[in-house]
Amino acid sequence: MEAYILPKAELGNFVAALKKDNEVLGPVAKGDEYVFAPIEDVEALCLDYDTTILPPAKKFIHMPGEVLYEFEGVVEGKTPEKVGKRVLFGVHACDLNGLLSLDKVFLETYPDPYYKARRENTAIVALNCVSPCSDGFCASFNTGPSADIGFDLCLTDLGDRYMVEVGSNKGREMVKGLNAASNEDFIARNRSLRVAQQQITRRIDADNLGVLLHQNYDHPVWREVKEECLACGSCTSVCPTCYCFGVKDYVDLTLEKGERQRFWDSCMFYEFSRVAMDHIFVPDRETRIKQRMYHKLTYYQQQFEAPGCVGCGRCVTTCIKRIDPVEIVAKIQADPKPEKEVKLYTPPEKKVKPELDPWEPQKAVIKSIKQQTPDVRTYTFAFVDPEVQEAYTYDPGVFNMISVFGVGESAISISSCADLKGVFQHTIRAVGNVTNALAELKEGDIVGIRGPFGFGWPVEEMKGKDVLLVAGGIGLAPLRPVIKYIQARRNEYGKFEILYGCRTPEGMLFTDEYDEWRKIPDTRLHLTVDLVPPGCEWGHCIGVVTTLFNKISVDKANTVVLTCGPDIMMKFVVLDLLKRGWSPEQIYVSLERRMSCGIKKCGNCQMGPVFVCQDGPVFRYADIMDLPGGVF
Amino acid sequence: MAKPTIAFFKFSSCAGCQLNVLNLEPVLLDIVGAVDIRYFVMAKRENFEGPYDIGFVEGAVTSPRELMELKKIREECKILVAQGACACHGGIPSVKNFSGMTQREMEEKVYTELWDLKSFPAHGIDYYVKVDAYLKGCPMDKDEFVMLVKSALKGLNPLFRYHSVCNECKLKENNCLVLTKGIPCMGTVTAAGCGAQCPSLGRACEGCRGPASDCNAASLARTFIDLGLSRDDVVRKFRKYAGNTPEFSKGAEAV
Ligand code: SF4
Ligand code: SF4
Ligand code: SF4
Ligand code: SF4
Ligand code: FES
Repeated sequence: MEAYILPKAELGNFVAALKKDNEVLGPVAKGDEYVFAPIEDVEALCLDYDTTILPPAKKFIHMPGEVLYEFEGVVEGKTPEKVGKRVLFGVHACDLNGLLSLDKVFLETYPDPYYKARRENTAIVALNCVSPCSDGFCASFNTGPSADIGFDLCLTDLGDRYMVEVGSNKGREMVKGLNAASNEDFIARNRSLRVAQQQITRRIDADNLGVLLHQNYDHPVWREVKEECLACGSCTSVCPTCYCFGVKDYVDLTLEKGERQRFWDSCMFYEFSRVAMDHIFVPDRETRIKQRMYHKLTYYQQQFEAPGCVGCGRCVTTCIKRIDPVEIVAKIQADPKPEKEVKLYTPPEKKVKPELDPWEPQKAVIKSIKQQTPDVRTYTFAFVDPEVQEAYTYDPGVFNMISVFGVGESAISISSCADLKGVFQHTIRAVGNVTNALAELKEGDIVGIRGPFGFGWPVEEMKGKDVLLVAGGIGLAPLRPVIKYIQARRNEYGKFEILYGCRTPEGMLFTDEYDEWRKIPDTRLHLTVDLVPPGCEWGHCIGVVTTLFNKISVDKANTVVLTCGPDIMMKFVVLDLLKRGWSPEQIYVSLERRMSCGIKKCGNCQMGPVFVCQDGPVFRYADIMDLPGGVF
Repeated sequence: MAKPTIAFFKFSSCAGCQLNVLNLEPVLLDIVGAVDIRYFVMAKRENFEGPYDIGFVEGAVTSPRELMELKKIREECKILVAQGACACHGGIPSVKNFSGMTQREMEEKVYTELWDLKSFPAHGIDYYVKVDAYLKGCPMDKDEFVMLVKSALKGLNPLFRYHSVCNECKLKENNCLVLTKGIPCMGTVTAAGCGAQCPSLGRACEGCRGPASDCNAASLARTFIDLGLSRDDVVRKFRKYAGNTPEFSKGAEAV
């Protein structure tokens, strides 16, 4: 280990030297607590701080809020602002590890240019904890009290001097002129870190934690926590690994000019999973609490192969109710209810098309609009840039993020098949801000498109098999590409049956295409509606879509089922099929959640350990049916 | 396109919200440019009859005359906005609802001339009519007002977020009053949007914006008792600005 000695009397000069080329951000007192802030006066630096209100790396690298895009009418791109060089000075081991976990989120699967620019310009001077804080439990996860990796320099307080370990070339530059550490210095360092380690008595037994939690999803402790928790979300605001954010467009009074901003958000908040029509996917506090706790203690590891909790203790310190992961896990361990064998969810292999800037929407023009029902339209788009259009391809069942600037962005599945060249289509129901704004647009108007994102229908695995489509309402839109796909490759698939249900005949989509679909060889289309208004003609079935199951003729043993519709419909489709002896391996569902990024960053679409945007939106039911808390 | 017409009305309240509209410099002129203010007795000499596109109503409803007017206003306004704590939840006037006195006793306490006075418990306006949007707070937040106007002009739902005030407090890295000073702050259960104004000045959140969207008032009431508040004090905390709401009532009833 390469290490040097910095006498405490020299600290001022050392920091002053860093300040010549860098903005130095370090811990300073605020009331009885500490915060990381720009160091104007070295005297203000409090290196004996216990913890800070917000974690330094998250505060200065993730940033509580920032502008993603500036626009006027149609998009005007904004490149990340050049940040000057900075040094985060005196970062505890837990917070450094928190940063390394954030790196996994923001630097992998579509690297975030804004985060990346700041990350690359920030040097880290870590600080080992020789007198650990009282709420921390970093030793449980090997994320403290001393830092092993990820720093440029790392300090250890040895009384009258700091030992300075070098972790990078950048760090080596900074220590020029310091004397090398002696053997005695090393001994003193190791001794004090060992003592520190022993002082940490709070502990979570991390072995097999994921399985234990999974098995105890219904443990009584969660109801106790629900009664106490104030749902204030402070635990997530202060957590060094919480990455979730929301995205919103703000306009000035011209109503044209504005910016798209992101801001920290929290899964503890009721509105976190809100979509159009005020539908909330996670409507109860107990589930939200579990989303947080499980995410910290197991999901994060499953998603990013990095710790979701680094044991900094902030969530406990900041909680008026002192809701404490250490205590909760201890309670479960004292009285575990291991009712079933569980297998932890593993996300599918990443499928990412590397792009320059994942936040930059491409302009697309509306070529035509076709009214499907009173509130549903099919839009045919083409990218303004012919090269982008030429290169654009996608699998059936994936989605785009569609922007109306000044209104917002919405995740919407593509309703055309990539066989259609030169254009692509979306079939959209006007229900929320973005979709209502889309409904106001006309041919020739411009929108922003990011995508395609996610995994679609398993058109490869389906080859040689019978295919059963079960769609409800607007859920036919993401399945239409499959129909087109099979039509174009008819002999590669077996029997093909389409079951489609709607509330009323008036709500049926793509009605002018049914004749064509019926003409596809060996294909049958069955329709049903919940009710037929008086005076309306209807020659088909009446009842929910599952009533059509009695009519199907595909070979159960050799069929793949694809279903999409409202959650409640898919729930009954799946239940009914399972009851009839179908297997969860052969059923695929397409899920909808709130989505603010599409690129596995904002966290809005999380359903347990699953990112609906990148692991889905299409899932094999068998892969997700055992998620803690279930699917529907 | 003709500019949307706007009207401001006032019932039982202090006029603080309307004053806040006038305090909107420097954007006030831009707003005046974007809309046509047809009725604003506090600010204009010339006022016009409805209908209006957007009506902002300040104040609680606590008399038959106010109720009659409110119903007429509702009919006249395409979008009706409850402006400020009184119109949203009953606000300070609603303190009387929990005084334990009869309506007449209260009237006698406040007024000397009682012959033409007729009042009933104070409620927010959505107790009586459909409300399309809310501007919470005492007084309402100016930025939210501007955001709402812009959203209305664009035909959007402003999608205000009513998670707890603590979120804004944490982002400012305030020392939490409850944790560092034992001060009974209502921030945890109160709807955000004010930028944690009071806690940022070292003063407890009073709950003027009403309950947060996931409000666990009963749990906070228990914390207040632990902090040494009397039962009556806890009740007063939850009955101050939004005592009418079921969420805050749970706090008042928990101890
Ligand atoms: S800080 Fe505590 S009370 Fe607040 S949301 Fe988190 S666990 Fe609940
Ligand atoms: S969950 Fe709590 S202890 Fe763990 S890293 Fe987050 S704030 Fe720290
Ligand atoms: S989902 Fe995870 S990262 Fe996001 S706010 Fe919740 S606990 Fe934090
Ligand atoms: S001072 Fe009040 S608003 Fe701020 S964090 Fe504490 S309880 Fe929440
Ligand atoms: S993580 Fe943002 S939409 Fe999935």
